[in-house]
Amino acid sequence: MSSTATNDKPRNRVTAGQPNNVIAGFIKRNVEVISISASILVLATIFSILNPRFATIENLQNLLNQAGLPLIIAVGATFVILIGSIDLSVEGVMSASGMAFVLMSANSRGGTDFGFWAYVVAIGLAATLGFFSGVLFTKVKVPSFIVTLGMWYVGLGIATVLFGTDTMPFLTNDDLSTWASQQNLGMPNNFLLGLLVAILGALLLRFTSFGRVTLAVGNNEEIARGNGLKVNRNKVTIFVLAGAISGIAGIVATIQLGAVNPTIAAGNLFIALPAVVIGGTSLAGGKGSMLGTVLGVILLTTLTNGLTLADVSPNFKTAVSGAILILAIVITAWSQRDRLRISK
Amino acid sequence: MSLKSILTKPVRMIAALTLASSLVLTGCTSTTGEGSTAPLKKEDLVMVVSVINTTNPYFAANILGAQVLAKKLDIPLEIVDSQGSSQVEISKIQAILAKGKKVVMFVNTVASSDAPTIVNDVKAAGGFVTIWWNKPDELNPADVGNNFVAFQKHSGLESGACTASALSEAIGKEGGIIALPGVQDSTTSATRVAGMYQELDANYPNVTVLDEIPSNWDPQLAYKNSKDLIAKHGDKIKGVWTADDGMQIGAMQAFKEAGLLEKVKFVSDGLYPETVAAIKANEGNGAIVGETFHRGYMASAIGLYTAYLAAIGEIDPSTLPAEKRDSLFAISCVTPDKIDEYLKWDNDVEGWVDTLIENGPWDTAPVPLVGAGPEQIPTRNN
Repeated sequence: MSSTATNDKPRNRVTAGQPNNVIAGFIKRNVEVISISASILVLATIFSILNPRFATIENLQNLLNQAGLPLIIAVGATFVILIGSIDLSVEGVMSASGMAFVLMSANSRGGTDFGFWAYVVAIGLAATLGFFSGVLFTKVKVPSFIVTLGMWYVGLGIATVLFGTDTMPFLTNDDLSTWASQQNLGMPNNFLLGLLVAILGALLLRFTSFGRVTLAVGNNEEIARGNGLKVNRNKVTIFVLAGAISGIAGIVATIQLGAVNPTIAAGNLFIALPAVVIGGTSLAGGKGSMLGTVLGVILLTTLTNGLTLADVSPNFKTAVSGAILILAIVITAWSQRDRLRISK
Repeated sequence: MSLKSILTKPVRMIAALTLASSLVLTGCTSTTGEGSTAPLKKEDLVMVVSVINTTNPYFAANILGAQVLAKKLDIPLEIVDSQGSSQVEISKIQAILAKGKKVVMFVNTVASSDAPTIVNDVKAAGGFVTIWWNKPDELNPADVGNNFVAFQKHSGLESGACTASALSEAIGKEGGIIALPGVQDSTTSATRVAGMYQELDANYPNVTVLDEIPSNWDPQLAYKNSKDLIAKHGDKIKGVWTADDGMQIGAMQAFKEAGLLEKVKFVSDGLYPETVAAIKANEGNGAIVGETFHRGYMASAIGLYTAYLAAIGEIDPSTLPAEKRDSLFAISCVTPDKIDEYLKWDNDVEGWVDTLIENGPWDTAPVPLVGAGPEQIPTRNN
């Protein structure tokens, strides 16, 4: 159960003739967002100095292109972490949905092109896997860490069975297989989709009762339950939503590559999760924002892209990434260090 | 509770645990004792093919070769899918060894460091094993004994040289290229990369490697790294060298999205079915200009047949010459205009295995034995 220590200091009040209080209040309320934004600016400045090609339009579009997929995944992860749980099934669910999508679309193995229904089935499959995770978590009381770890392998197994022994299936629709990086409004489509998912997620959190219940459950599940909130229903819904979002991510991943194999999602989870945490979402639940998640993804993508352009040796890249990541998390979480938070 | 009982209680517990552990370990007959190399009866044998995963086309072909050979020899076959994990690989192999039958095994190791454990376990269980592609340099079949029948591979240096040459010729012997090796600590990748540099240094001094980013044999990672390198080097990139066809898929997609597929040339290793399809479709207006030909079903069939001959006593590994214990098999350089000459082998896998059984593992076209390992990675003067 998580709890937040109360702040005994009187809230800042806006008074005429004291603009400093307004600014201080703004900074205090948005310290994580400001910290991450500052970190991004610092990194971007350093990388631009190290390689001027970093700051070109072409590379910035490339950076956004690379941020698109992790952003979609991170939105789903944010919802789950907000209730104090974790979803490790992302990569398996993505693989299963991506494989189903390609095999039901026009592909090099032949078969029927189901068009729109390919999307429906793929996302539906992913949501179903999320449903099972949610039910096992709430009804059978298996910790989310364990049940989603198992669901990761279930998803991977489904993808492997669907893959069979034939050659790797390619999307044969050229327009579809290049959609992800095509530009609209100066940004690649997959990033715009990620942004749309993040905006919808933010609206869901902010303006719906579902969002309010989510934050309440994450903040203090017992009190939420005691106040008559349907906690288990909310949790199952969260996992279904996260599953569906992973399904969308699986489709985007296959469109990006133009093909699919069971390991298409490998490595994405451990970009998305740190991004969510860096973005200010508490692993204990109850606190976080989609804006923070978006900025967290951009920070990590800037880091990996910048290190490549800066000619950092591959031998050191992972270690350097990790060190900068820790620094970014420390800077972001510095303001929270005095609060008492007990992890679930 | 007295001090005496407090002191003796943990001691008794530790003693009991130690005794129990010893009993368990001595009970594991698959990992104790020395292996026998006396000829075995066919009915006591089980064939085992161990691959890194079952979805990569090369590993799927390893399984195919094993299935065909096992059927020809009328020996049951077990398949080990390592799922990319050394621990899974070793656990599954140990489980098969514990079943009791003597194994005739082909292993495509997940990592070089897996080989010592595997060969020692097989030896202890009285089985026979060949390892393909990756092993530590200091692990020699002759040092382990007859149960480690042979280490076999195709020359990585030759693969890298062949593809580097094809790429350099295609871009007019000058200009910038990018390289995407596989996993950094893979001997296979390291030797291919070394072969590439050796060929460029010797014969194509005006071809420059602009950048090199290991992409772990992963198409998605190769796609991402290629996108970064396109942003970094732009139209300076004239060619792309990848250590295997899987990564080439990702790289080509990145260049296709950047509208550069027809302006850049690609080479790689393996002539995967996807690559064959791209060549036949003239993708990118002939973007792929060089490949190497070797097949997973040939590797596994050769490896298993070598181990089988040792198991039934038809060959004595201890009397074999060095090149038949640490073996390099032929690899073919292929250009798009010649691929049908090589693809014909794929049309009759069973026929090829029949020829293997007739000619033996070292003298079967198109992959006869051509030399002895280990491959020495040349040092470069940077």
